[in-house]
Amino acid sequence: MGGFEHATPGILVLICLLIGPVLYYIRIARQGRDLYVRRIAGVDAIDEATGRSAELGRPISFSTGLTSITPALYACLGVLFYVARKAARYNSKLLVPQNDPQVVAVVEDTLRDAYRTEGKPELFDSRSVVFLSEDQFAFAAGYMGMVQREQVATAFLFGVFAAESLMLAEAGQQIGAMQVAASLTPEQVPYFICTCDYTLIGEELYGAAAYLTREPIQLGSLYGQDRAKLVFVILIVVGVGIATYNSFAAVYGMAPLPNITEWIRVTDWSFSAAG
Amino acid sequence: MSIRSLLIRGVTFLGGVYFFLKFVLPESTGFATYHEQISDGFVLVGAMALALGLINLLMVHGGKVLYRRKGWAPSVALLVGLIAMMVVTSLDWRETRKISASVQRITTLKDFADRIVLDASKGIVPEIAGEKLPPTVRKRYLLDALRPLASDLHTERQTLLLVVAEDSRASNLTLQRFNNEFSSALADTERLLALEEKQGEDFEPSGLQQLSQALSTLGVSFRGLSTAVYGESLVKHLYSFLFEGLFISLGAAMFSLLGFYISAAAYRAFRVKSVESVLMMTAALFVMLGQIPFGLWISESLPEIRLWLLEVPSAGAAQAIDMGASLAGLVMAFRMWLSIESESFK
Repeated sequence: MGGFEHATPGILVLICLLIGPVLYYIRIARQGRDLYVRRIAGVDAIDEATGRSAELGRPISFSTGLTSITPALYACLGVLFYVARKAARYNSKLLVPQNDPQVVAVVEDTLRDAYRTEGKPELFDSRSVVFLSEDQFAFAAGYMGMVQREQVATAFLFGVFAAESLMLAEAGQQIGAMQVAASLTPEQVPYFICTCDYTLIGEELYGAAAYLTREPIQLGSLYGQDRAKLVFVILIVVGVGIATYNSFAAVYGMAPLPNITEWIRVTDWSFSAAG
Repeated sequence: MSIRSLLIRGVTFLGGVYFFLKFVLPESTGFATYHEQISDGFVLVGAMALALGLINLLMVHGGKVLYRRKGWAPSVALLVGLIAMMVVTSLDWRETRKISASVQRITTLKDFADRIVLDASKGIVPEIAGEKLPPTVRKRYLLDALRPLASDLHTERQTLLLVVAEDSRASNLTLQRFNNEFSSALADTERLLALEEKQGEDFEPSGLQQLSQALSTLGVSFRGLSTAVYGESLVKHLYSFLFEGLFISLGAAMFSLLGFYISAAAYRAFRVKSVESVLMMTAALFVMLGQIPFGLWISESLPEIRLWLLEVPSAGAAQAIDMGASLAGLVMAFRMWLSIESESFK
């Protein structure tokens, strides 16, 4: 038994089932087909939040928390790109405190591109991307000090967060900033719900950029992954059904059905073994 | 498409192909044989990036301090902290390496004694440059190496104890304990050494086994004594002050803020405004009461209700969030690999 650290044919099949619909819907979206995405209040609030900053003449802060160079960062960058364009349009100051030195370079490039796209490259200031610290709590201390000093009007907290989430969100709360958060870590979601005006939960972060930009690739990708998720929902329902049947079968002496997860564990590539 | 963009896409794709194949191809294909070497390459790139980061840090903050630009004072603090930590950590590293090297000298001889006994029991006679090395010859080599070691250890012990002030020596119980243990282990080793020397060319495995055990105790007690003496040094005090006194304490101070923030957040969350907030408040009440002895006093079922709330609805919701986020992350990873990028990043 190879465990889950290495692929098995079952996992390969699941990957194909996941990627197939994504590629298909990206193609559909590129052909110009209109794809509906449900309204997400937190994403709608991004426009309101950037507008608020312009009205008050105070900065916007956008933190990706402890996110390193991972797919989650690219999801955050999609939203940052949108926020940076808005900031450039309204001449708002944008601060992007950072925890990971590698992310700093990527974020700088994204901001430069956003200002250039908006036709205001001269407004881009590389000092707006501030590297605070790689240490979790030193980063939190730096962030808290920064939002207090700059009296930010709007704070975006998008990405991966850990124990520092509440410190960051409370700092914004104390100065009355409008806060929109998106956490991939379920443990931090309650803290954000308590302290932020809007909170995106889990995968909504990945959908935010698609919703905001309505770009075919992002929309198609979002549509495809939602369809692919159906496969997993079906697997869960079938698995629950089999487990329930097997528990009755054990009581009434009936023959049990094979466990649905077993075919995922099969490691024999000759497809001759059955578990 | 520019050459730069093409290069980035090409390297990303090839990197993705490598990791994908490593993940999906069966281990029997041997594709992963070189994985460790490739992973070491990543560590090397990381180390170089660290050096570049250090240079960059010195340039950015050094420039700020030199030209008295805005925020130069915190830059001074940063540079002083950086240099102090680097110097003290380097000295600490040097001292601990010195201790390890001395202990290594003892453990190497212990391993040699073990090896002689093991080879003798299996009847193995090693050969170096055409010369056969029976146990008696190897024992002589061992004793030849042990004699100067025992003498060196006496000197090292004197030197070590001289470093520590008289009053510290008297008050440091750990140091006293290891000093006594070391003296006894050294005396024991010398006694066994003398016995072996007396036996001359005769080879008795049990004698070498006892010597090996004595060397093992000697190594442990010498490490303990050296570490206890090093613990009294200025470098160790400075290191402890900077790392445990400042760094860890500041982190702990930040963490302790969470207690106050959780209370403030809980106060806001528990304002009953809607049906959902009533449900949340009720669930939270059960969880909190189920956690404390007072809850058990009210009802013995409360801890069970608490556990059910945490393990069934709460864990189920968390797993659903995790599953959605993981699937979305996987799709995003595939898009990155195949460079199916949004218009924004082209």
